Amino acid sequence: MSYTTRQVGAANTLDFKLYIEKDGKPVSPFHDIPLFADESKQILNMVVEVPRWTNAKLEISKEQKLNPIVQDVKKGKLRFVRNCFPHHGYIHNYGAFPQTWEDPNHTHPETKAKGDNDPLDVCEIGEAVGYVGQVKQVKVLGVMALLDEGETDWKVIVIDVNDPLASKLNDIEDVEKHQPGILKATNEWFRIYKIPDGKPENQFAFSGECKNKKYADEVVAECRAAWESLVSGKSDPNTIDLTNTTLETATIADIQEASPLPAAPIDKSVDKWFFISGAN
Amino acid sequence: MASRLNMTRGHLQPTAGYSTSAFGGVAQGSKYSTSFKNYATQNNQIVSYFHDIPLGLDLNSNTVNAVIEIPRWTNGKFEISPDLRGNPIVQDSKKGKVRFVNNIFPFHGYIHNYGAIPQTWEDPTAKHHGYYGDNDPLDICEIGSRVAKLGEVRRVKILGALAMIDDGEMDWKIIVIDETDPLARDMPDIHSVSQHMPGILEATKEWFRDYKLPAGKPKNEFAFSGQYKTVGETVEIIQQCHESWKQLVEGKVQGEGLPSIQNSTLEGTPGYESLSSGELLINAALPDTAIPSEVDTLYFYN
Repeated sequence: MSYTTRQVGAANTLDFKLYIEKDGKPVSPFHDIPLFADESKQILNMVVEVPRWTNAKLEISKEQKLNPIVQDVKKGKLRFVRNCFPHHGYIHNYGAFPQTWEDPNHTHPETKAKGDNDPLDVCEIGEAVGYVGQVKQVKVLGVMALLDEGETDWKVIVIDVNDPLASKLNDIEDVEKHQPGILKATNEWFRIYKIPDGKPENQFAFSGECKNKKYADEVVAECRAAWESLVSGKSDPNTIDLTNTTLETATIADIQEASPLPAAPIDKSVDKWFFISGAN
Repeated sequence: MASRLNMTRGHLQPTAGYSTSAFGGVAQGSKYSTSFKNYATQNNQIVSYFHDIPLGLDLNSNTVNAVIEIPRWTNGKFEISPDLRGNPIVQDSKKGKVRFVNNIFPFHGYIHNYGAIPQTWEDPTAKHHGYYGDNDPLDICEIGSRVAKLGEVRRVKILGALAMIDDGEMDWKIIVIDETDPLARDMPDIHSVSQHMPGILEATKEWFRDYKLPAGKPKNEFAFSGQYKTVGETVEIIQQCHESWKQLVEGKVQGEGLPSIQNSTLEGTPGYESLSSGELLINAALPDTAIPSEVDTLYFYN
């Protein structure tokens, strides 16, 4: 797997864009990176958007050509997640599965909520801190159904296949055994992370329970099928950019050259720790 | 009676003039290696973090000076060297390897800005509260919002104290908040800490109890059933450790392995001398050494 990154601009600025390249050529992390690294061994590719213990809300841009990773912006301001005590930034290597899509036109029969129009979110629980734009090989362990402002926003729990614990983790109950507290913390983190911004607590479907691997595999398959409908023209892409370099609709994508700049300083207010009563 | 006396003394002390901005620092060597040293400076002269930065205890506002050794959410075990002349901040090392604390889930590195109170010493030759001291300055846990920097000298408000017992020695953790923190004025006591930062005191205890488990050591224990001391009791602990420090720098304590008492400002003490920068500043400041990736490992305990 020879994925590298092509950086434009400085991290922590509005200009920042991180393209993914394969063998030196830009590819779309949404459409071109195969979901499966090795389907027979059930090893999937994951794109890291936010490394553990960091705050910048970086994500694959759906709208820009070849879907670079950019920092989310709200009202012209860069978004950072708040630190909710006792956590520091994101508590996982957070990212997305390529070639998946949570269809906003489809209401899930069990969560009773529509998809959030994004690639499927992934929480990688291995011990190494990843880096932005990293393409990791992971195995699926379970899934939680976050209802984020009324939309289904699945969080698939995975571990890097190269992690020392990977061989011992095969299903969700193994996670609780080897990383006691991680699922409870994950639940808590996603419930409260928007409270410092004045938003209500998020809800989870299934009373917050983490569904097992079998269920998670089905969610991944559904979101894979939804993405196939999207790129084949059966679903309305709306503002999603479908430019790609590997599918039937491949084109030659002309993307700006690398022009990386040193990271800009992060505003000191991002360091603040928020204490939320009753969170624990 | 003791507290009445403290009140009186408090009124006799200046209430202002504990400016901490007079102190700077000068780095030597490469951070995250054994070559790193950060000396305190005042008026371009090297001073000791341990002996020359004043205690600055103000009994009206319950504030004191603190030296930041370890910024929150970092792992490098930096501390004022008790042994080296001039007491620079160095990274603790074992068998030639610099030390990092492990991440105990759900925490990342240290959960406070961690440091020490200058001109205090936990005397290892005398028992207080039933335990010998750990031979170091008093430790502080600063709980303010800002992430502090290594070597900073800050004015902090005293809130309470936790009596950690480390290998049978007393190792007080003084809970403080930066005087400039927006919450400082709303925190008169340890009880108010729980109100404004629910969970922090429990997390602090859990952190210190467990942080050596990954190294194969047992859990740390606490005296006083792990109860936090009040502000008044904590002030007395600080005063008592300041008295112990005075005995130390006046050369009145006998024992093995006592700290270096060289200093630049305490005229009449046996360690008083000019800490010559020409002699101490012999290395350049170098770029940081890479932090080993295993420092990122998370440890989980039931």
